[in-house]
Amino acid sequence: MKRRNFLISTAGLLGSTAMLPLFTSTASAQETPVSGGTLIWGHSETVQNLDMHQTGTASTSRVLQNVHCSIVTVDKNLNVIPHLAESFEVAPDGLTYTFKLRNDVLFHNGQKMTSADVKYSFERCKDPATGAVNFEVFNHVASIETPDDLTVVVKMAQVNAPFLSRLAENGAGVIMPKDSGPQQGTTPIGCGPFKFVSYEAGNAVVLARFDEYFEGPAYLDGVIAREITEPTVRLTGLRTGEFHMINDIPPDRMEEIKGDSQFQTVSWFPLNFDFINLNNDFEPFKDQRVRLAFDLIIDKELLLQGALWGQGALTASPSYPTSLAYNNELKPRAQDIEKAKALLAEAGYGPGSLNIVFKATTNYPYHVEAAQILVEWFREAGVNLTIEQLTWADWLSQVWVNKDFQMSMMNFFGLWESDFLYYSLYHSTGGFNYRHINDPVIDELVTKARGVVDDQARADLYKQVQQRVYDEVLDIVIWFRNGSIAAQTKVGGLDTIVHPNGNALNFHKVWLKA
Amino acid sequence: MSFLLNRLLSIALTLVLISMITFAVTNILPGDVAMMIMGTQSNPEALAGLRQSLGLNDPLIVQYGRWVFGMLTGDWGNSLIFKVPITELLGQKIRSSALIVVLSMAIALAAAVPLGVWAAVHRNKWQDTLSSSTALLGVSLPDFFWGIMMILLFARALGWLPSSGVADPATDFGAALRYALLPSLALGLGLMAHLTRMTRSAMVGILNQEFVRVARAKGLSERVVIWRYALANAIGPVMTIAGLQVGYLFGSIIVVETLFNYTGMGWLTYQALLNRDVPLIQATVFVIAAVVMLINLLVDLLYVLVDPRIRLE
Repeated sequence: MKRRNFLISTAGLLGSTAMLPLFTSTASAQETPVSGGTLIWGHSETVQNLDMHQTGTASTSRVLQNVHCSIVTVDKNLNVIPHLAESFEVAPDGLTYTFKLRNDVLFHNGQKMTSADVKYSFERCKDPATGAVNFEVFNHVASIETPDDLTVVVKMAQVNAPFLSRLAENGAGVIMPKDSGPQQGTTPIGCGPFKFVSYEAGNAVVLARFDEYFEGPAYLDGVIAREITEPTVRLTGLRTGEFHMINDIPPDRMEEIKGDSQFQTVSWFPLNFDFINLNNDFEPFKDQRVRLAFDLIIDKELLLQGALWGQGALTASPSYPTSLAYNNELKPRAQDIEKAKALLAEAGYGPGSLNIVFKATTNYPYHVEAAQILVEWFREAGVNLTIEQLTWADWLSQVWVNKDFQMSMMNFFGLWESDFLYYSLYHSTGGFNYRHINDPVIDELVTKARGVVDDQARADLYKQVQQRVYDEVLDIVIWFRNGSIAAQTKVGGLDTIVHPNGNALNFHKVWLKA
Repeated sequence: MSFLLNRLLSIALTLVLISMITFAVTNILPGDVAMMIMGTQSNPEALAGLRQSLGLNDPLIVQYGRWVFGMLTGDWGNSLIFKVPITELLGQKIRSSALIVVLSMAIALAAAVPLGVWAAVHRNKWQDTLSSSTALLGVSLPDFFWGIMMILLFARALGWLPSSGVADPATDFGAALRYALLPSLALGLGLMAHLTRMTRSAMVGILNQEFVRVARAKGLSERVVIWRYALANAIGPVMTIAGLQVGYLFGSIIVVETLFNYTGMGWLTYQALLNRDVPLIQATVFVIAAVVMLINLLVDLLYVLVDPRIRLE
């Protein structure tokens, strides 16, 4: 029920501009949960490296959410709350963090969690030799002290306000038993509600209930996450009863499944946000008028219907609608091709003079579909758009790493933390700044935010960043895509399954009816 | 014996060449595994760190040398993307794929040989037309079509067999068989068509030969003439084709594997390529090549058993 409240309150936050319900479920009324049974889940993606520190893929974190716990976590509104630490304290100067650990946390190997495990986990993530994706979270950490078994004191060399919220994710904040690093990639061990049992590449991950879980044992005996990447195969498996539930329903099949009384469906947003990228270093895109014109050419609502079959909601800001930083004053710009043409002419690009290559990755078929829809609108505005389809490896290498593109499209999963989002994506030296964005105002704002400890004041700075991105049209943010699950009616507790980050699935309170 | 030695030596040489070519080609491809592991969570420093820890910064010749040394000493290393020992990964996938290859070949042969013989014996009669059109149907329709039909019938309507999945024959043979049956049938139908045509034409040729007439003149029963004398002589080319098909199947069952989410060698090779997992690409290509060549060698050896006129020298 908690999650449902969260989603309702979110709808309130967005007010009448909430274009779709944030959480819709055809699940039946509440019943009393029973224990037992193994849930078979048709998972949409292949799990790879199982080391929570090293993995950057949404698919792996989605499953490992059940195996691992982080030192702190977030509530429905993405506020940081205690988890493995029963309390935490930030010194007024923002330089010292003190975590008091719970006394009742056991790892899957039966060992009790102590401050030594926390120190080990943080230091492992920080160590460049680990190859941790989130190692920069610990950049300003000067020392990690463990005055006693249940206290951890982290001292910073300089203020890094986002530190705590970055620890609320299983990436940087995950606590592993001391010295378990070498085995994490093949047999992950944590203190979550389920123990890792086995993994066969491309086939299945098997999890079993951990009876000593500190928040009480799960209902399910186990979860088998079968990896079924083909959406139609997944749907067939649901129909034949081989799977209790599947995630990621193809948007064009959603209505069909919803209308079938054999199944219940759950959908929510955001699973991720999508935006159209303009390479700010490409000559025409150095001119704000051209970028603005490109934004005006796009009918976002129609694009949402065409490429996503309406399974999402428009937004002009990539911040999660539930977060304090979401700037709800920004509205997606309506299509205005005449104005766009005028702007282009003003910038010196008359009809037919702009030839743009749009690089879309086949990893996200709806990006290719979106690009195909764009072509026609751009033609009307006198811009020739050519689509180049790239495999995921080619997209990563050309667009992400080499920044060799003119126009593209991408999405981000689970990127709710404002610093992670805005510093990485928009600072001129940010790790995710593949669009060559170089805006001194944004650089100043996101750098300043890192030193502001007060949450509301910090959120206000990020709202200004969003305003700047919007005014300057540094990217064209379009929508939040819905996440979706379909399940047999015998699956209970689905209203608790989605983590506030929109990506991870949590089976702790899910159960099977007899 | 010297034949065998020669063949084994040439197989070894070919494998060395193949490993060099795959290594060179995969390193020309844009992007690397570090980039694939981190996806859109990477930044330049993290990428550099991961590359270093994966040994991707070493010169190519060093990486290749390390790989060859590992192969020779039995340490094939870990898949960079899955983090699992490659030998373990390959073992699973080879067993799973071998199961459907063998099963589909058995199904195909069991149907194709009688059907081909039947057609040849009744050449240009309705039996021949029926057999030929069946074969034509099998060849013309791709295996994924049969796959979909079988999913609809056996998984959806009857509910007898699972529509997707895979199990390791080494751990649970019964389950492995259940998962393997539908993909094998789908593959087997296409194969059967080829082999039926092959058997028919080989038999037609043989049945026209003098020794068949002599055998009949001697008063041998028609059954003995056809199945003992004629078929024994006609089976050679069928075996060659079947042998080639087995090798070919091993590396090309990806479509059927995808359709049934039966993740075997085809899937593994595809994942390796997609993720630029060079050690895994090397290993899968190497294994597939070795299997193809060994099966062809095996077919050559079997010839001796079937046809006593052949001596291997």
